Amino acid sequence: MIMLSTRGLESRNLSGSPARMVMRVSEQHDRPKGLRAREAFLITDSNLPEGFGLYMAFAKDAASLGGLPSQAKTIILPDELVYLADGDVMRLWPKNNAIRVLYRRNSFHNHFLLTERCNHYCLMCSQPPKNIDDGWIADDVLAAIPLIDPSAQEIGFTGGEPTLLGDDFFRILRAMKSYLPRTAVHILSNGRLFSSPEFAKRYADIRHFDAMIGIPLYSDVSTIHDYVVQSDGAFDETIRGILNLKHYGQKVEIRVVVHRQTYARLPPLAEFLARNLTFVDHIALMGLEITGFTRANLESLWIDPVNYQQELYRAVSFLADSRMNVSIYNHQLCVLDERLWPFARKSISDWKNEYMPECLGCREKENCGGFFASAKIRYSDHIGPSPSSESRKGTPASFSI
Amino acid sequence: MSKFQPLSDYQQSLVDGYQLLPFRFTALDDREYVLTNQAGEFIVMERSTLEALVRHRLPATNQFYDDLKSKHFIIDHDSSVAMDLLPLKVRTKLGRLADFTGLHLFVVSLRCEHSCPYCQVSRQSDNKLAFDMSVETAEKALVLVFRSPSRGIKIEFQGGEPLLNFSLIRYIVERAEAWNLAERRDLQFVIATNLAVITDEILEFCRDHDILISTSLDGPADLHNANRPRPGNDSYERAIAGISRVRDAVGRDRVSALMTTTKLSLGRVREIIDEYVKQGFRGIFLRLMSPYGFAVKTKWFKAYDVDEWLEFYFAGLNYILELNRSGNSFTEFYAATILAKMLTPFEPGFVDLRSPAGVGIAAIVYNYDGDVYASDESRMLAEMGDKTFRIGNVHRDRYEDIMTSDALLGPIEESFAASVPMCSDCAFEPFCGADPVFHHATQGDVVGRKPISAFCTRNMAIFRRLITLMRDDDEVRRIFVRWANSR
Amino acid sequence: MSCRLVFSSQVYSVETIKKAAYRFSDVLSVDIIPRPHETECILHFISGSKEEEQAQQIVAAFKNEVLDQDLRSIISKETEAIRNAVLAFALSKTGLQGGE
Repeated sequence: MIMLSTRGLESRNLSGSPARMVMRVSEQHDRPKGLRAREAFLITDSNLPEGFGLYMAFAKDAASLGGLPSQAKTIILPDELVYLADGDVMRLWPKNNAIRVLYRRNSFHNHFLLTERCNHYCLMCSQPPKNIDDGWIADDVLAAIPLIDPSAQEIGFTGGEPTLLGDDFFRILRAMKSYLPRTAVHILSNGRLFSSPEFAKRYADIRHFDAMIGIPLYSDVSTIHDYVVQSDGAFDETIRGILNLKHYGQKVEIRVVVHRQTYARLPPLAEFLARNLTFVDHIALMGLEITGFTRANLESLWIDPVNYQQELYRAVSFLADSRMNVSIYNHQLCVLDERLWPFARKSISDWKNEYMPECLGCREKENCGGFFASAKIRYSDHIGPSPSSESRKGTPASFSI
Repeated sequence: MSKFQPLSDYQQSLVDGYQLLPFRFTALDDREYVLTNQAGEFIVMERSTLEALVRHRLPATNQFYDDLKSKHFIIDHDSSVAMDLLPLKVRTKLGRLADFTGLHLFVVSLRCEHSCPYCQVSRQSDNKLAFDMSVETAEKALVLVFRSPSRGIKIEFQGGEPLLNFSLIRYIVERAEAWNLAERRDLQFVIATNLAVITDEILEFCRDHDILISTSLDGPADLHNANRPRPGNDSYERAIAGISRVRDAVGRDRVSALMTTTKLSLGRVREIIDEYVKQGFRGIFLRLMSPYGFAVKTKWFKAYDVDEWLEFYFAGLNYILELNRSGNSFTEFYAATILAKMLTPFEPGFVDLRSPAGVGIAAIVYNYDGDVYASDESRMLAEMGDKTFRIGNVHRDRYEDIMTSDALLGPIEESFAASVPMCSDCAFEPFCGADPVFHHATQGDVVGRKPISAFCTRNMAIFRRLITLMRDDDEVRRIFVRWANSR
Repeated sequence: MSCRLVFSSQVYSVETIKKAAYRFSDVLSVDIIPRPHETECILHFISGSKEEEQAQQIVAAFKNEVLDQDLRSIISKETEAIRNAVLAFALSKTGLQGGE
């Protein structure tokens, strides 16, 4: 697991700096001089090009910092940031040397958390809401976007509930379109604010070339969905939001977290989606992440995935046979019905992903997404290396994809 | 955990009860009933549950309650979004109406070298002037074709044997394509031919213009040849050879086959299906008995042929399901059409199972002499002396006159299933259609009294069988979902 | 061959009985005689139909059909307004949530 948030070891000349510094990481000695002031140079050898806004070195190279002018801003990085590379974007809090890596150029899984505020209180929330004024986050994101390499393929926006940012939400999307016109955008939202046609239209009017909103729907039954997200009326507003988004031609993905409260009605939910929301672009059925509120509600949420494979198979096969795009996220291959393997994706962000001791020697490791690091707390009793392909021969492919 | 509310906090209906949404019900068997809503979604339950449901005595804890809510049969205070979703679903189902006439059949010649006993129309004659469509007629018909607002236009050439007038087919295809450069419709061509007279030149033309071939294959050689006599008694051999040639020249899936069921077919359904499998077809349409003589059924008795045909059909369906269960994907197309209505939000658009009836507004026929008919059956009826469903003539009438004529609108309006006795109550109405021509021919009126209607008996038996099969067997249900969603 | 049935008009409307009779018109012809508190039905079995042998079953089925038609009339009354509203929305060209 990769640490994105950490603390610098020692810094110099940072007092008097702004409360937060959002900077691009550079390793290029010949970086154009005009750009250097906003960038943090990562020292790897004795080269010390002048004019950078910040100089960074790992403990082993700390001595090189001595060669810099006395007023240069410097910081020593902990070894866990060894992955930092040219083109990454980070945020530094000079007051306590806290560092958060916001964007990694080498990763396929970059996302920005836009706020910790939320109008839901999901039983299994992996990012428990905080009712605070964290508008400064949006400011930092707006500062970071211009620093990101335009070759970035996709960036995610999460929360909390991103749409609660209001005007800043649209501002950020317009900045994405403006600075990163070929970067796809994937937003996680409960969709409720889109139940206002004006809000949906405002979103559509951005005319982003490739934006998708991932919206959770946990049941075909309103009461169950409202219970899981702990908000009365959520189901109705979310669906109206989806309908409006589709009315304005926007891409929508449905996300379903599978746990003890939602597994039983997966097949009726699949039918509900195919009959009522047939136009959605993708459906993701996801495994439980044992973090945040999940730990508090573990007894009402935990079910060993092998125990819901029947429901999962019926739901996925119905959706696939109804020609909808469906994927399974965050499930290890060994707990999945083998007929569902073609739908399983390696979905866990590389910075969250791990394997368990039982995985030793498994042939399918390459194809399997592994676990969330948090899974150590609770995971299936049935993890084990996949049987040899000999014993798997003769399993019929039961349906076309 | 004190800051999380329990499920019961979100369930107002435990206190407040529910309201009915519009639905219909019909008996499925002697145990259970089928309920359907306006969008064709269905639920099966015993009569006692149905009665409790209607009399507002069904508790929220009943095993059906949540399904009834999410499938929009009832609504309660927990959620009102059903009122947004239900109209959208109904709109999707009705969407085809606005497309209007998509299938245009051109009878380019009545001449034919076969003499099939079930055919009403063909002429064993070389008189091209008398029985071939003229260029002038074709031109006038094309004008009418492009007056249809439909995005998709399918022009199908029929006869007699249409290839006997291939030069006109060539003319029509080229004219339509030229016209379509400006119109930009999704234009498709089909030739319905017995393949006995196909040539390389014709095949090349079909390849160059992406024309689909629809041919007849009634079953194994002896059955096919008995049904379809021609000089040399080699209709089957020519059909098989022709299919092979079309596949080689035009493409594997560019040729489809239709069977005609006759008395000789009954009892041989497995062999017929085996023949289709052998010839590499992906499915079969187990069709009705040939309409030859359908006008002579007596009024007061359900035609015994219906029961015999149903036996034939169900034996075929069972056999096809056996094939599917052992891993061979093979579809029965009539069932697939019905299943699309039952299991998907879409309307498959099959012209013979539509309400309002597909006559004229989904399919239309331009006869060799310029007469315009509301459907192929309408044309056959005319050949037998009854021109009730002739709706105009290309040389005489404008598009508006034809499409708003009483001969067309009257039957459509009167036979509209949602308004007529028994159909308006019937749970199967969303899956069914109106067939004014058939009812006119068998009962003398376009509506028909459904209790004595072979159309009704047959279709209800099929609806019941399909739903029962799905109810009792998950694997069959999965097979059916695939059929429903296949193109 | 015929059979006489009586239905309380407090419970079953004539309309309900007529609809049931219609469904059975392939095997029965029904005389419907409305009276102040009851509706009398004379069921005549259509001669020659093989169902003559199953007369009892047919009468039972007819009575059940009357019950079913009664349920249908309840549903119809209760849902007519919604049925029309759904059709009106479905056939309209506008969006459904105050849209364009």
